[in-house]
Amino acid sequence: METGTKISAIAHASLISWALFGGTFRSEPLPFAVQDVSVISSEQFDAMRARRGAPEVPTPPADLQQPEAPVEEVNTPEPTPDEQPAPEPVVPVEPEPEPEPETVEVPPEPEVVEEPPVLEQPDTEVAALPVPPGPDVQPSPADKVAPDPVEPPPPEAKPDDVETPQVSLDEGAEIQQEQQDQTAPEEAAPEIVTEAEEANDPAPKTSPRPRVRPNRPAPQPEPEVTEAPEPEPTEPAPSNQDAINDALTEALGSGTEPTGPPLTSGEKDAMRVAVSRCWNVGSLSTDALNVVVVVGFSLTPDGKVVGGSLRQLDSTGGSSGAAKQAYEAARRAILRCGAKGYDLPADKYAQWQDIEITFNPERMRIK
Amino acid sequence: MMKLLTSLFVGLTLMASAPVHAQSGPLRLELDEGIIEPLPFAVPSFVPDGPAASQYAQDISRVVAADLTGTGLFREISSDAFISRVSSFDAPVQFADWKAINAEALVTGAVNVSGNRLTVRFRVWDVFSGQELGNGLQFAGTTDGWRRMAHKVADQVYSRITGEGGYFDSRVAFVSESGPKNQRRKRLAIMDYDGANVQYLTDSASIVLAPRFSPTGDRLLYTSYETGQPRIYVLDVGRVRQQELNTQEGTMSFSPRFSPDGQSIVYSLTQGGNTDLWKMNLASGQSVRLTNTPAIETAPSYSPDGSQIVFESDRSGTPQLYMMPAGGGEATRISFGQGRYGTPVWSPRGDLIAFTKQNKGRFHIGVMRTDGSEERLLTASFLDEGPTWSPNGRVIMFTRETQGASGRSSLYSVDISGRNLRPVRTPDGGSDPSWGPLQN
Repeated sequence: METGTKISAIAHASLISWALFGGTFRSEPLPFAVQDVSVISSEQFDAMRARRGAPEVPTPPADLQQPEAPVEEVNTPEPTPDEQPAPEPVVPVEPEPEPEPETVEVPPEPEVVEEPPVLEQPDTEVAALPVPPGPDVQPSPADKVAPDPVEPPPPEAKPDDVETPQVSLDEGAEIQQEQQDQTAPEEAAPEIVTEAEEANDPAPKTSPRPRVRPNRPAPQPEPEVTEAPEPEPTEPAPSNQDAINDALTEALGSGTEPTGPPLTSGEKDAMRVAVSRCWNVGSLSTDALNVVVVVGFSLTPDGKVVGGSLRQLDSTGGSSGAAKQAYEAARRAILRCGAKGYDLPADKYAQWQDIEITFNPERMRIK
Repeated sequence: MMKLLTSLFVGLTLMASAPVHAQSGPLRLELDEGIIEPLPFAVPSFVPDGPAASQYAQDISRVVAADLTGTGLFREISSDAFISRVSSFDAPVQFADWKAINAEALVTGAVNVSGNRLTVRFRVWDVFSGQELGNGLQFAGTTDGWRRMAHKVADQVYSRITGEGGYFDSRVAFVSESGPKNQRRKRLAIMDYDGANVQYLTDSASIVLAPRFSPTGDRLLYTSYETGQPRIYVLDVGRVRQQELNTQEGTMSFSPRFSPDGQSIVYSLTQGGNTDLWKMNLASGQSVRLTNTPAIETAPSYSPDGSQIVFESDRSGTPQLYMMPAGGGEATRISFGQGRYGTPVWSPRGDLIAFTKQNKGRFHIGVMRTDGSEERLLTASFLDEGPTWSPNGRVIMFTRETQGASGRSSLYSVDISGRNLRPVRTPDGGSDPSWGPLQN
């Protein structure tokens, strides 16, 4: 055998060996932290500096900003206490003489076919990671607590996640713009501010916990090696062309799903932020706030949640009842913010077709 | 053979090159930050089964909505925004219409009236998943009890969404105050948790203080100056029959509280100028001393399991909070912050202790862990005092008094997160609230 043939044979053998076994020894990617950076203009930077220099004016205590009485009396012929002489104790009338209300299960509702969602949701916004509140951030009481504080909107602005200026019709203008209402995001405070904190010192009493180190990516399960079943003797042996076609199909997939490169950290963060904007833990019990729940779901190519694909994969840290509430809050977040479809790169559909999100409320607990 | 080798080579080469970008599993993300805001919900007016039920249907749905909104955890969507109407309890819900107005939860119901018998059916829906939360339920009672049934519906809705028990079908005992500060008339009163249905249990002939519900809500302990000296009385709430407890003659007894089993009480007794804690068995009337120090010990409160008592003592020089075994013994100080601490009350969940704190001329209601850690002040004013826990341990009610000769006492409530501070409407002024258990 000639030297050239030998070299060629060795090179081909090496290539085939690498193709067969190279992947086996592929190491896990090392964990790395990614910090997103927002690009701002010099004018914005100057404006920020100017704000830092200006003295903070504490919010006036205001009279509690509380709504009116919790319950409106409705047609209750209740005696006015002042009008009563009440020299003697009045026998209280039990509101319900019956010892215990009967509880009867109502038969379950028939299945309802859900119509496609038509909710007008704001577009998914690509945002940087939440910036921890600095010393110049003035905590203010607001109904909403969100990672990113939001200034009170202008009084005439309608609440909307997307800020848009007001455009009114200008009769003299040559080019008429479409009229639109002014909208602004709802006011949000970076943390819960109690009356005690608000009254004494505007400085935050507690600092947010440092971000926990991200967990290492879960190791991929080793592919199970199973012996191929013996071919049925009656089936005809596949031809060479079939073997090539099979190999091509297996290597290239079905051919209908664009794979593309992996999602960038920015694209992943955008998805994370999109869901977190609807992950409302305000109505969860303290027990449910101890539950870390993992939710899996599938998306259609246009970023909408596949009906029936939402499922709870795992939960830790609480009772089954608390886990159920935590899962339902997570489910609401995924469905609500994905009603219009998540804004994900279509050319990487295979990368985000199936998603698993771990909802960890540790930083949102009442402390 | 050559063809086979060729196909094998082509296949392997493609296998080696193609999977560089292939997805090896689902995209995995972790969220550790969300938002905290009231959950938007809709309560369309319940469907009446007949003309007689029409007003009840409307009133019950309004009370349910008010209960939920009052927690601060929910925000009602006005009926003006509704796209679809619920005209039949069993009709399929048009989820798209409720999604369009951003309602995350929907409560539908129906009311039937037959004679003086009232029946309420309801369902709770998770709008965005199109699923029912729990099963439909039905409550039956009399028309007089329509408010209680509304509270029961609201308790169920609250429980199904938050995962913790409700507190709407409960009552609060308090001292109703009227008249100027120097001539104040005080009467023992009881009301629904939201200030409705106020009823008076005593007249204003003598000063009454600090009512305390029994664990089952059928009895009240309170302190009265009927004899000139503060003495402890127990009152049967159903029959409005009071009885003085037989503490020692010539002494002052006050600040009583029931044990979790309702069989005994713990209270303060002043004898010879010294105030200590005592425990009385209600069946036998026998009292035993729990503390014996020259300091003032008062405001005892049991842990929910009855094994510990937290109380206030000035043995270290200023009033602070201490904890000791329920049978007496060595006490451990648990409050170490600046200022004076008092009126500790153990949460029904057992995890927190609410207290009054005075510091730098202001009063606060706060909570801390049972070991004294993680102290958080929830309120601040000229005078806040006397916290009491809701049955589910989520809300604290307390007394707030305004400054000056015309200062007025009134009741307030606040969520344990410090949010949703709001007044509780009472016909007159109010103080010393005691939140009773959920009613059966």
